[in-house]
Amino acid sequence: MSSIKPFSKLPQLNTANVLLVENEGKLQNDLADAIVQQENNVNVTVRLARGLPLPAENEENRPRIDLVVFIVHLSSELSLVSTENSLKQLDTGYFLGKVCFLVTGARCGLVPDERLVSLRKLAGSLHCPLLFAEDQTREGVSTAAQRVLKILRVSAGLVPMVTGLYLSSLTRCTVPLDSDGSVQD
Amino acid sequence: MDAAAEALLRQTVRRIPSSKLNGVLGRWGCLSEAQLGSLESMQPKWLLCDNLISLCRENDLSMKHVAEVEMLYCIENPKRGMWYAYQMVETDDEAQSLELMHFRERFKAHLKDLIGHVSIKLKRHQDESVWIRIAWGDNFNRPNHLKPTYVMHHLQTPYVFVSGLTNKHKPLLFQALVLAAGYSSIKNAHLNGRCITALRDLLMRQYKQVFPSSCPKPLKESNPLPNPNIENEHAKLVEHKQRAAAEAFGYEDPPKLERATYKLETKYREHGNESLNGRDEPFRGVVKFTSSNLLESLKYCITSGAYLFHSGKYHTLELLICCLNYHSCFPSFL
Repeated sequence: MSSIKPFSKLPQLNTANVLLVENEGKLQNDLADAIVQQENNVNVTVRLARGLPLPAENEENRPRIDLVVFIVHLSSELSLVSTENSLKQLDTGYFLGKVCFLVTGARCGLVPDERLVSLRKLAGSLHCPLLFAEDQTREGVSTAAQRVLKILRVSAGLVPMVTGLYLSSLTRCTVPLDSDGSVQD
Repeated sequence: MDAAAEALLRQTVRRIPSSKLNGVLGRWGCLSEAQLGSLESMQPKWLLCDNLISLCRENDLSMKHVAEVEMLYCIENPKRGMWYAYQMVETDDEAQSLELMHFRERFKAHLKDLIGHVSIKLKRHQDESVWIRIAWGDNFNRPNHLKPTYVMHHLQTPYVFVSGLTNKHKPLLFQALVLAAGYSSIKNAHLNGRCITALRDLLMRQYKQVFPSSCPKPLKESNPLPNPNIENEHAKLVEHKQRAAAEAFGYEDPPKLERATYKLETKYREHGNESLNGRDEPFRGVVKFTSSNLLESLKYCITSGAYLFHSGKYHTLELLICCLNYHSCFPSFL
């Protein structure tokens, strides 16, 4: 089992690599297709995984990962638990603007509120962007792919004058105010 | 054309949807082209029915022909009734190979011996199966064509599928079938449902189960052109799981099974706590599985796996594959 490091390999020209981590394996395939179809100017490679750490046998062939997207389905508790476990295995260098959370099912009324709150606290404490996506329709998936691509271009260094650190200060998740008015961090 | 034939024709035309009616009547072949053309399908059904009856009167058709229409429709659309599967058993070892004419003569002769007033129609379908339509009567009544029994049988196999059979006529039909086909007895295969093709596939194992081999051939690519930019980190594992699922459930779509019931009756035995052992009453348990398509959902369970990423270990549902070994552990389907 190997752990990935953000700067251990050389970057390639005009290339961006994203790793989609999802426990169920449902949304990653559609999202990967949508991402690859939408991007024409840059070579985008998508790698799919069910969790971290990644298997060691792909170590040589794996390119430098520019962005790690954790896909969390709020409808299942297992999704959140496995994401938390995977986060522990991720190298700390990635948390400086190279990690993003993608959440589905936030509109569903059957989902208990604590899951979303705890996920927002987690993303807020890690200073990572939290995106909400709708995975049941094709338009939802293509919109999610567009947003992931925007963040990927910045993390891969393809947008001039902007790096992942700038982005995380603009897009990091803020946690809602507590009832007595004090800001939670 | 008598009243009974008319009644049957009305009932049949009511059941056949308008879109299929023209096709069925065309295949029937008892009406000429001109007559078929004169029946417009945009009419309301009752008007169509009246026109059809007057056409049949012109052509001087009888109950026999009308029964053929119903049979044609039933063969093409067997989903209307509940089908029950039975298996014929022979105690002596020689297997008799039968051909259609032989079977037909014997079956008709035996059934007419057993009960005088029956009306039997036998038809051979394209896929080597024999369809039999039986209308039962007794000493006081003519054969009742409004409630016929349909039987489907593949001649070289011991399986029979029956629909619309009452308990009164069951022993008669079974005896005639067993004698005609050359077996010694018939037993319930404990399999029933609306979709006769699924029953047939399940019983005759026409969907292929692949057995695990030490040198597995590579799986065919399921996506026609995998995108080179997308790569799965766990590609080998995914392939392994798909192979395991295919070995347990076959490569094509499995037949549609909606309910499975397991009944267990055994003596309780526990080594630690002796209090429950040695009771006279056996331990009984019933487990029911229900789904819109059981085999497909189990196959999906295996391919998606149950991943628990705890310090790199993972567990898959291999236990289910062992449980569902078709050849030994499926005692009864209900």
